[in-house]
Amino acid sequence: MGKNLIKISFCLNSKKVEIEVSPQLTVLEMLRRDFRLTAAKEGCGKGECGACSVLLNGQPINSCLKLAATLKPGDSLISVEGLNDDKLMQNIQEAYVEEGAVQCGFCIPGMTMASYYLLKHNSTPDEHAIKQALSGNICRCTGYRKIEAAVKKAAERTKANE
Amino acid sequence: MNNIQFIRPTSIQAACEALKNPGFMPVSGGSDLVVKIRNGLYPNLEGLVDIGDLSPLNLIRTDENRVIIGSGCTMSQIINDRLMQDYFPTLVKAASTVGAMQIRNSATIGGNVANASPAGDTIPALYSLEARVMITDGNNARKVPIEEFFLSPGKTKLEAGEIIEGFSLLFRKTRGEFLKLGERRAHAISKINMAVSTWNDGRDHWRIAMGSVAPTVLRCPEAEEYLEKCATIDDAAIDKAAELACNTAKPISDLRSTSAYRKKMAGVLLKRSLQALTK
Repeated sequence: MGKNLIKISFCLNSKKVEIEVSPQLTVLEMLRRDFRLTAAKEGCGKGECGACSVLLNGQPINSCLKLAATLKPGDSLISVEGLNDDKLMQNIQEAYVEEGAVQCGFCIPGMTMASYYLLKHNSTPDEHAIKQALSGNICRCTGYRKIEAAVKKAAERTKANE
Repeated sequence: MNNIQFIRPTSIQAACEALKNPGFMPVSGGSDLVVKIRNGLYPNLEGLVDIGDLSPLNLIRTDENRVIIGSGCTMSQIINDRLMQDYFPTLVKAASTVGAMQIRNSATIGGNVANASPAGDTIPALYSLEARVMITDGNNARKVPIEEFFLSPGKTKLEAGEIIEGFSLLFRKTRGEFLKLGERRAHAISKINMAVSTWNDGRDHWRIAMGSVAPTVLRCPEAEEYLEKCATIDDAAIDKAAELACNTAKPISDLRSTSAYRKKMAGVLLKRSLQALTK
């Protein structure tokens, strides 16, 4: 079987990487299988649940819908793991825990990624802004109240620490 | 499927050449295509041609008296573009309702149009702005009015080896509204959507287009002509125009909604749009 492998290079969590991928491999599959970065999850596999959210050039995308082969040398991909040392992401993660916004945890990497993008661009979001920013992320256990409270808390804490 | 080819052309010409091969499809954002491939909708797929990085497909630019929106522009790009916001608010509003933020950051306007879904949200907006679809085979270009571009759901006038380069709009200041009804406010496929654009070049022009009420998007010429004849658009005129829009709609019942509901909602959406635009 002569598989058609495509060589791609891009920036992953601030490091230049090179890898060969098959044409239909998604960015999500590549992250999880090839780079063993398993924070992003496959929930629906069709761009509805947001559990696979990662940042591509600073913008959240559904990594389950992006073909790895379409990544370009200038592209920067950031997964939740790439924000381990990021103060804003740490504030978000801690607030999620404190507010009890995490139950099974499956949606949380995507939720925190969407929260991160929101707070990066709007440090004092109101309820509507939070709801809108998280409307592409679905949680099937805790509901959304505690998640909203966590985002609010993370915003306040980040502001206080500035 | 494992053996499909993946081509990364460096020019539009090379992309079109590759797309002449049977079973080859273009990919840009991938937000629709990847789902369809996974669902087995393209059993004869032989190769993908990545057109996501070809300039000027990903640019919004002006060309004399026209504005050209490259087919590779993402929804987010259109939403955040100052010129789009100032001149073509209908399209900005339509793009804002596509999917969720993660989708809007990937999904392109060319993909939304080329998929030719009766529920595609940017399509009625482009109808209402009298867009021309710019098609190229790499050597020869042609322009097709958007109303003539769609043949049936999923079918367009694009031939093998052709791609949409962009959408050409007359550079004029318009006002507009885009409304859609879905299962929830965010991130839903339209049960019905409607675009209303208006501009004044000495007299008022109205363009109304609705989606999901027929196999392809429909204009509402009766309501448009009626509005253009009105000296002032008051509540009675709005009601009359809404009634005309209901009569134009020819919806079906499907998993998302019923025919009767869609027909009624055509009037409701037009009424709300006109109320917003005549305030």
